[in-house]
Amino acid sequence: ALLLILPPLPYLRGFLQRCWGRLERGVLPGFSGGQSPPWGPALAVQGPAFLPEPVRDKAESNEAPSLLDSILWMAAPKKRRTIEVNRCRRRNPRNLIKVKNNIDVCPECGNLKQKHVLCGYCYAKVKAETRLIRLEIGKKEGGPFNAPTVETVVLYDGEKATEKDEGKRIIERPKKRPSWFVQN
Amino acid sequence: PSPRCFLAGGSWASSLLGWARPERWLGSGSLFPLSCIHTSPSLEKMGLWEKKNRIVYPPQLPGEPRRPAEIYHCRREIKYSKDKMWYLAKLIKGMSIDQALAQLEFSDKKGAKVIKEVLLEAQEMAVRKHNVEFKSNLHIAESLTGRGRYTKRIRIHGKGMFGIMKIVRCHYFVKLVEGPPPPPEPPRTGFDQAKEYVQELRNRTIVNTL
Repeated sequence: ALLLILPPLPYLRGFLQRCWGRLERGVLPGFSGGQSPPWGPALAVQGPAFLPEPVRDKAESNEAPSLLDSILWMAAPKKRRTIEVNRCRRRNPRNLIKVKNNIDVCPECGNLKQKHVLCGYCYAKVKAETRLIRLEIGKKEGGPFNAPTVETVVLYDGEKATEKDEGKRIIERPKKRPSWFVQN
Repeated sequence: PSPRCFLAGGSWASSLLGWARPERWLGSGSLFPLSCIHTSPSLEKMGLWEKKNRIVYPPQLPGEPRRPAEIYHCRREIKYSKDKMWYLAKLIKGMSIDQALAQLEFSDKKGAKVIKEVLLEAQEMAVRKHNVEFKSNLHIAESLTGRGRYTKRIRIHGKGMFGIMKIVRCHYFVKLVEGPPPPPEPPRTGFDQAKEYVQELRNRTIVNTL
């Protein structure tokens, strides 16, 4: 027997009661009105109920089968798959998770990293600092579409602009230069 | 239905024994007899796996080899499928805890994050309460999944049709044992099978004779 847990929404409860009522009376919920379609067996029937006519024109035999005929030849499981067969399929080594052998230790921070991927911790650090620099840039520009056509240089505590950074835009960050941000 | 089902949480003690008031019977300066009842609703029933941490072995004799520490930990009602969680449990069975944490960190599955938290909690418990000296000296002896409580919900399809879907939860159990992981069993070769066959032939006896 089906176990239905009535949801608390009132309109859903009324709708469900109507659905169940229709089901008990033998009408499909999708149909409005009193008619119900023929309740055939749920499994596909093997072949057509009538025999094909023995005398047929050659033109008719070359016709492609109509949609109704092709529905009767749908693929359907013949027998229930036993739990032993299911276990063989689910547990064979093809479907198990493979052990990864490309995990190393990051030389900078000591966390684990994959060999072909950047270290997650170091990348998070860089991302945080970049976000703060971008906030400073945003404050300097003041609005969208105000990006200047010159390069940008980031200077930390106690650093001065050199002659090379003549025409460039300078962003000040009031903290010590991080070890991974190399100054040119 | 038992009357307990409509009495919520901690009120069952007072409503069952409403007629008896222990504080009126006792004189001053004595312990309440019912003060040791644990009436919180969150701890409904202690699971068997949690109880395994409470067993106490008798002290070992001087000559015996040291019994390795065992730590049982679990997490209940994880919102994940038990079949999908089983693949992760099978992955880390028999590994050392460092290797298991490394594999889980780079796995893309949702259950990997949960199992990693469980392993870290168990490692912490081992060092604090179970007298484990080195937190890396642990290996995973057993790792299992179990079915949690399923709830059924309506899933609405088109044309007024509906289906009943199950919201699936699982439990995850792990047993950590102190010491390096045991070496993996060598696979059975044809030579081993042949030796066993010959030994079985040699073990035969003739019935009803001397």
